Amino acid sequence: MSNLQLEIKQMIIETLDLEDISPGEIIDDEPLFVDGLGLDSIDALEIGLALQKRYGIKLKADSEDTREHFSSVNALATLIESQRVS
Amino acid sequence: MIVVGVERLVRFKLQSWNAFAPGLESHHAWREWLLHPSDLSSELGKTSLKQIPPMLRRRFTELGRCAAGAALPLLEGIDSIPGVFASRHGDTPLTLSLLEGIAEGEPMSPTGFSLAVHNALSGLLSIARKDVSEVTAIAATENLIPSALIEAVTQLQDQPRVLCVIYDLPLPELYKPYSDSTPFPCAVAMILSREEGDGFILQSDNGPSSDRDQSGDFMTLLRLLNGLESSVVFGSSLTRSRWRMSPE
Repeated sequence: MSNLQLEIKQMIIETLDLEDISPGEIIDDEPLFVDGLGLDSIDALEIGLALQKRYGIKLKADSEDTREHFSSVNALATLIESQRVS
Repeated sequence: MIVVGVERLVRFKLQSWNAFAPGLESHHAWREWLLHPSDLSSELGKTSLKQIPPMLRRRFTELGRCAAGAALPLLEGIDSIPGVFASRHGDTPLTLSLLEGIAEGEPMSPTGFSLAVHNALSGLLSIARKDVSEVTAIAATENLIPSALIEAVTQLQDQPRVLCVIYDLPLPELYKPYSDSTPFPCAVAMILSREEGDGFILQSDNGPSSDRDQSGDFMTLLRLLNGLESSVVFGSSLTRSRWRMSPE
């Protein structure tokens, strides 16, 4: 687990009140929503807000890209890294 | 059934009830406490809500945990039942935290916002129980308990039984100078039925007004449900109409 992946998992646990879950239980490449971790649409909005607060990333709620960025911890890490470079 | 006239009166059957407050979770505990009252914590403390999946449980605020703590034990074995959810002040600690966030210019939490509406709790329970029965959310400045019961009795015209949950928290300190509120978290859940249970009558009361405030209405109801009173009156010197409740 890289530092960024760990940071994202801690952000998810903190902002979504997932007190019973440890970072190790969130798998880097598994779905965050519905099937995998089991997050829902309100959680997606909350993660969007957290990305904006911490990394200055603004996403469109209805775009297909956003769906892709939110698919897993790895996808979120790729998004954050790409924003850091540019 | 509602009898029209000068006297307003409804009859209903109470199939079951359950109440929840810090440290008081059983009929026996309530009865003992009502006979020998002691100060209760103004905060709910830990609750298990084991009937709710963990991913949904995290969405229950203190008010929701209190109301669900009262309602869920009554709902075991019941797949679907319409519900009347009544709270005078609603989730004021949550609303206040959102307002403070706005004042500080912070972006608002979507979760917090979605949970601050008055029918959020009934929605959460509906999702958790996979019960798509209709729900009604009530807020009443006066006569919260009679209003909730009258709504539930009215719905018995269409339904064989109706869940009625009445719940409130102490107001945050900031609001306390402006209104009375329950001194501790309290929720009462009742299942009203057309056919089964003990008969009750709720009727308008024209007797002399009491000098207490409405914050005592929860205890008034619980004294009646525990058989410690044969008849009780809800409301205060300030309420414009008062209601009497008694066993039939």
